[in-house]
Amino acid sequence: MADVRSVSTGKPDDGYLVRMVGIDKYFGRVCALKGVDFRVKFNEIVSLVGDNGAGKSTLIKILSGFYTADRGEIYFEGKKAHIGTPRDAKALGIETVYQEQALAPHVSIPRNVFMGREITKVLGIMDGRRMHAESMRTIERLGLQIKDTGAVVEALSGGQRQGVAIARVLYFKAKLVILDEPTIALSVKESQQVMAFMKQLRSEGISVVFITHNLFHAFQIAERFVVLARGELLADVDRKDSSVEHLSQLVISGHHEEK
Amino acid sequence: MPAGFRLPEPSRFFIPHPEIEGSAVARQRLIVRLLAYKVSFTLLVFIALLVIFQVFTPNHTFFQRPNLFALARLAPDLGIVALGVGILMICGEFDLSIASTIPMSSFVFVKLLGTGVPLGLNLVVTLCVGVIMGLGNGLLVTRTRLPSFILTLGTMLFWKGLLYAASRMMPIGIRSWLPAGSWLENMFVGIIGGVFPIQAIWFVGFAVLLAVMLHFTKFGNWIFVTGDNETAARAMGINTNLVKIISYVGVGVLCAVVGMMQCLRIESFTANQGVGFELKAIASAVVGGTSLMGGMGSVLGIFLGTLTIQMIENGMILLGLPAFGIGAFIGAVVILFAVLNKYISRFSTR
Repeated sequence: MADVRSVSTGKPDDGYLVRMVGIDKYFGRVCALKGVDFRVKFNEIVSLVGDNGAGKSTLIKILSGFYTADRGEIYFEGKKAHIGTPRDAKALGIETVYQEQALAPHVSIPRNVFMGREITKVLGIMDGRRMHAESMRTIERLGLQIKDTGAVVEALSGGQRQGVAIARVLYFKAKLVILDEPTIALSVKESQQVMAFMKQLRSEGISVVFITHNLFHAFQIAERFVVLARGELLADVDRKDSSVEHLSQLVISGHHEEK
Repeated sequence: MPAGFRLPEPSRFFIPHPEIEGSAVARQRLIVRLLAYKVSFTLLVFIALLVIFQVFTPNHTFFQRPNLFALARLAPDLGIVALGVGILMICGEFDLSIASTIPMSSFVFVKLLGTGVPLGLNLVVTLCVGVIMGLGNGLLVTRTRLPSFILTLGTMLFWKGLLYAASRMMPIGIRSWLPAGSWLENMFVGIIGGVFPIQAIWFVGFAVLLAVMLHFTKFGNWIFVTGDNETAARAMGINTNLVKIISYVGVGVLCAVVGMMQCLRIESFTANQGVGFELKAIASAVVGGTSLMGGMGSVLGIFLGTLTIQMIENGMILLGLPAFGIGAFIGAVVILFAVLNKYISRFSTR
């Protein structure tokens, strides 16, 4: 541990923002995760890849408090963490952005950004002007252009919607942002836009977990890849030791090449 | 979200035409915006009906004092309940059991009058009947996660059955226990200066209060997002079950108020109080631009919607149309607005 500490970023921890150790999860008698280790460093984009049913979502739902693990431990900033509800995860600074599920389509952008955490004056009355100003400032910081700032979310493009959802976690000073398939229904241009948002998050000192099926997207932006297969950890490789071909071989075959 | 979620880019409706000068662009935008705002259709129909009824009623009786007085005295009954039901619909749920909550609170109120408890205590207990019945609905809907239309149909029949058994469907007059001119009567059914029914003030008062709550407070935002995307709301830490339960309790309390109001006005409990309100309240909300799927609507819309429905009833009677056939016209209006709402939401921005 001592040498890990020495390469840390100077924060009082073990060098990792998050460490999930030996995670098991069963649904009834079905084993969804078995002894999975998952780590995220400070200021890092990690891509979590694997085929359908590999356990990616289950792992992330444990980290974001929707499920609890049957076995294993989670350390956040070096301290053991108990994440029993989504609220616990948010309190730690872990935010999850789900594709199309994060926003209320018929509600305005500021009200979406501040959903559940509205800025209020007295008697629960919202400070609409401040909510508008703060959300637009954050959206600009993210590099997102929205012409009609009074529009409801339904009027935005897919990429812009992701931007609004990401602006929300940026505003609330998340330390770790989990993006679940953020590019899945987007055009090429919009996907690039969303990946630019991820880079912006990292430049603000936020770590990102990027879950995707698209290995080209993953390879374009992530520094490390964690591959799951059938509920087990298959590989944890840095970008410099890997390639799109290598990753796709791992995901498709579900096991390592014979060496 | 399903594929249908992605609608054609509505922002292109708002791209200003380069040749039109600035102020005209602003004006064009404003008009499009206003039309996109569903309430404007309700308002247009409302005003059109006012004009039609005034012109076509024999001797122009519509705008004469006796008729306006009757409207102001009677419309708040359904109106107050519809405000609650509409807000509940924005939150994504229905409540048919209002048709039982109204007579049930009236029944409890009259029975308590008979026991001679102080009026203030009676008022509180009667309101509690609304709270309890609303709470029951809220818990049932949030625990079972089944469609509230069916569940509250169940609670409506259940409570109605109990009420009919307990009252044997006999009306109970209040005059043997409550002399005319009590403070409670003045408060709920008084006539200010001998000309203005106080019910109308209650109706407007509730509307203003609920409009502030729904459109300007944090809790109001929770109601919208709960109806619009419950998964997202829950992921953002909003206790959507609690939001729904509170909305149901609100409907129950409004029903209790109306139950008492009606009882004091007709000076009697009758078992058929509130019959038909369950669907008329939903119709009011729909005419007012409330989405049947939740997440869209406004208090102003519901307010105008319920007035529109009741004005149609009133105006058609004045026009001398057969009273029992009016339902057909109301039905047509409801369908028209349901279709209109769907169409408008394709290019609405707010």
